Order: sequence, then structure tokens, then C-alpha cells
Amino acid sequence: MSTLVASLHCKRPVPLAGTLTCAAGQMVALLGPSGAGKTSWLRAIAGLLRPEIGTISLGERCWFDGERRHFTPPRARRVGFLFQNYALMPHMSARENVALPLWQLPRQQRLAEAEQWLERVGLAPELWSRRPAELSGGERQRVAMARALAGSPHVLLLDEPFSAVDALQRQLLYALLAQLRAQVAIPTVLVTHDLIEARLLADEIAVIDRGTVLQQGTTEALYRSPRNGRVAAILGIRNRFVGRWLGADPDHPGWGRLRWLPTRSAPDDATLTVLPARDKGRIPAGQLVDWVIQNDALTLIPTSAKVTAASPTQALLPVRVNAVRSSGEFSQIVVTGVNPAVAIELVAAGPQRHHWEVGVPAQLLIDTSWIHVMPVRRP
Amino acid sequence: MEWPALLLSLELAAVTLLILLPIGLWGGRWLAYHSFPGRAVVEALLFLPLVLPPTVLGYYLLVMLGTAAPLGRWLQETLGVTLVFHFSGLVIASILVNLPLMVPVLQRSFEAIDPELRLAAEVIGLPAWRIFWQVELPLVWRTLVSASVITFIHTLGEFGVVLMVGGNIPGETRTLSIAIYDRVQAFDLASADAMAFLLLALSLGAVTLSFALAKRGAP
Repeated sequence: MSTLVASLHCKRPVPLAGTLTCAAGQMVALLGPSGAGKTSWLRAIAGLLRPEIGTISLGERCWFDGERRHFTPPRARRVGFLFQNYALMPHMSARENVALPLWQLPRQQRLAEAEQWLERVGLAPELWSRRPAELSGGERQRVAMARALAGSPHVLLLDEPFSAVDALQRQLLYALLAQLRAQVAIPTVLVTHDLIEARLLADEIAVIDRGTVLQQGTTEALYRSPRNGRVAAILGIRNRFVGRWLGADPDHPGWGRLRWLPTRSAPDDATLTVLPARDKGRIPAGQLVDWVIQNDALTLIPTSAKVTAASPTQALLPVRVNAVRSSGEFSQIVVTGVNPAVAIELVAAGPQRHHWEVGVPAQLLIDTSWIHVMPVRRP
Repeated sequence: MEWPALLLSLELAAVTLLILLPIGLWGGRWLAYHSFPGRAVVEALLFLPLVLPPTVLGYYLLVMLGTAAPLGRWLQETLGVTLVFHFSGLVIASILVNLPLMVPVLQRSFEAIDPELRLAAEVIGLPAWRIFWQVELPLVWRTLVSASVITFIHTLGEFGVVLMVGGNIPGETRTLSIAIYDRVQAFDLASADAMAFLLLALSLGAVTLSFALAKRGAP
């Protein structure tokens, strides 16, 4: 049971920084926009790219140490790598492709083992002798998966493996991946730019931008407390706002006050809404901040209902419904506040959601303990 | 039909091909995977024999390898080798003439291999020789076969360089195409006819074979 730890701080050949940890049996999703350096991280772990500075290790085994100039070549690392375009050998059959990592075994034995793997990934036997060009995208993907696992790898690396298959195939492959992972307890790193995929498949998400791992944690922890605005943006947190930290609230120990600004460049205005927020004592008063709030903390209430907010854990704001989009099983509702007039997104389920129409005034009850404040990153 | 001339031509083509095969594979692969200053010059030099008149190339070889030149003299004095008007000189000339039919062609073929395939092979753990043998060679195989066929036939029919470097010595440098020329000069059209037809048939057959191989797919 070995944990994969990659800690890189290099400018060349590509800028990579930060630390990525993945325990045995765990799946970490490397999430970031296109060109964020996700694939480079994967290649560095596999040894296909040699960074300048940093360390990469799997348990006791050191694969790379920039200071000691130690570098284990890819063939000695025993990594299962699933390439984005599968990288199946076009001149070999599905069976021969899967048998490749078993090249040290006698021919009959390695082909027999390859067939076992093809069976495990659910590829029909009549397809085993076909070449990749004669297989569909989903079938190729299964062959690639079998090949990645056939060599009994110590680490499994998946580079956007589901980006080239249709939605139906993808669901089947998700299930297959979950099933295979249960059989091999190794660290698995999944590169994806798809948020839903990351949330659905991975135990933890590592958010990456411009080659830097900004934050790693469970999905829940990341959503609740992203390290900064960029992490929140990459995670697709809709309700990201700007504010000014006004400092501790003398009336409520452990709480501070946050002035809600419409934009970063907007001038401070005493009439702007001030919200209570948990004070961790890390942000100086007067500091410009980014802040986020999750949907769980937001409740939309009709104006007719008489509600009082329990300070400091609740805040009640007058809003107006701006847009209602039904996505079948739930509705996405956008409301606009009064001061500042910013848009806030909510997801509503249940029968009440049908009451909301564009233009209707409402009250927004905010559970302020969910407000997460982050200092603005200096560019 | 001059059988010794045909035999000599076949021998020259075979020896040229045997020497060019490893040069083409190694050189083409190396150029495909490496970049270095002056690469464009190397590529241009490799291509030059294709556009240069064979007589010009032959002339320079004659000048350089002849015993009047330092290189030719050194070869004769230290190694006792005379290249001009000898079979070995023909081989060197043929190799130079056929370089553009081998090296750049294989270079393109190696370049056309998806780099991810080599990366995948590395991660899989295949040793370098297996990557070459199991991944790269099968993928350049068709190019290799058709380039070999073309090189062989091209050598069989080479005239200009061969005449300049080798002259017309029966059994040593008198190849089929020179024999044809010689027969036509002597108004022996019947012999020239037979030999010309043989070269035509061989060339057509070879080109057809190489096209058919290219269509049939890798083995």
C-alpha cells in the first residue's frame, strides 16, 4: 500500500508547481482548464517528462529527485497510462495490444492473460482479433483500459479518458472504471476538465491552473472552502462575489463583518449590504476579498412569509427573481439583490420551485456560516 | 543479351540496397527524432543527388576519388584501394545517387508515427530495441519495402554516374544500361532491344509491386 507523492517546483521543460498526493486505492482528479498543465503533471509522474526540480515518490520508492539527480526511467516505474487518444498500436490486434505490457512472458501465456483482461473490461471475444481502426471509440477505450492494467501497474494514470466517447458509452465506462478500481488498490490519477466527471469519480480533486496545483481536497471540502477565487472559478462555483472585510464584530465573538461589493473596482459605499461571516483572524480589516457561498446555504422565501433572521448565523435580503430555468428534475433560479444589485444563483427542487416566475419579489435567507472568505490574490 | 552485364547490374543493385537499408533506417529515424543546428543543410545535401545531373555527381566523384586527388591517392597508398573504374567505386556512386530515395523517404515515415505511440511503448516498459522492432518497424514497413524496390530498380538502370566513375569495363563496370548504350552505338539494335525490354519489364514489375504493397497494408 503505497502513496504517490509528487512535489514539483520547476520552470522547465514546462512550469509545474505544487504537491499532489494520492493514496493507494484512492482516485484523485486533476481538474483544470485546457492548457493548465494537467497532462504535463501526468507525464512527469510517468517519467515521460523530466522536471528540473522536485521529487516524485511512490511509498518508499523514489522515482525522481531533482537535487540528487535521480530519475527512474518510465519503463522501470510500472505505470499504467491511459492516453487521451488511447495510443493503441494501429498494426496490432486488440489482443496483441493488451499483451504488450506482458512482453516478458512467453507468447502463449501473454496472449492468454491479455484475453483475461479483455474479458474483464467486457470486450466481446469476436473483437479480440480486430485492429483498433476496426473498433468503435468505446471499444478502443476498453482495450486501452485493459492494456493500462495488464502490466499490474503500481500507479494508474488516466489522461482525459472519456473525452472522446459519447454520453451513453461514458456512463458504461464510468461503471467499468469503478468496478476495476475495486479490484486493484493502487493510486489512480485522473486528468479531466469535466467538473461533473471529477466529482462523480474521484475521492479527491486537485485543482490545477497554469501548471500549479492550487488546492487538493475532498470535493466537499473544496466546494465549501476553496483557497482562492481562481480555485472557486475552476470548480465552477457560481456564487462567487467580491467584498471588503470590515474586521471582527465586537458584538459576536468569532464573527466578522463583510461588506458586499458589486465589483472589485467598485467604490465602498456605506449603504451596501453588510453580512456576518466567520472570522478566522487571518484577514486584516479593510482587505479586499473574494467570497463564495454554496447553494445549500441559500433559501428563497416568498415575501408573504414572515421570517426573521437569527443574527449572526442568518441574513435576510430582499431580492427579485430574474430568471428561471427548469432542467427537468430541478430548477435553476437567478435572483438579483438590491444593494449591491448582483445576480445570485440557486438550485431549487421540489414542488415549490414552480411558484417562482421572472419578476416576482422574494426574500433570500442566507445561512451565513457557509460564507467562505478568501483574500484576493495579488497578480 | 549480355548476361555478364545483367549479372553485374543485379549485383550492384543488391549491394547498394544492402548497404543503404541500415543507412536509410538509422539516418531517417535519427533525422525524424532529433533536431540540431544545420539540420536543413544535411537534409538539402541528402536531397541533392536527386536534382543534380548524374554526370555532375559522377564528375565530382571521379575528381575526388581519382588518384590525382588527395583522397584517392590516400586510399590507394594506405589501403591499396582504387575506386575509380572499379566495382567498389560504382557501389559508392550508387549509394550516393540513391540516398534521396531512401533516407528522406524513411524520415517522413518515422515522422508520421504518432509520438504518443512511442511514449505509450515506453510507459508499457518495452526495451528500446523492442520499441523499434515491434512498434516503429511495422509502421514504416511499407515505406521501407517500396523505397527498397525503387532503389534496387533505380540502381539497375543508373547510367550517368556509373559511366563517369566506372567507365565501360566488361565484368567490372559494364552494367546493363551501359551495355545498351554501347550496343546502340554499335548498331546492334537486336541486343539493345532485348536488354532495354528486360529493364522496362523489371522496372514496371517493381513499381507495380511497390504500389500493390502500399495498398495491401502493413504485414
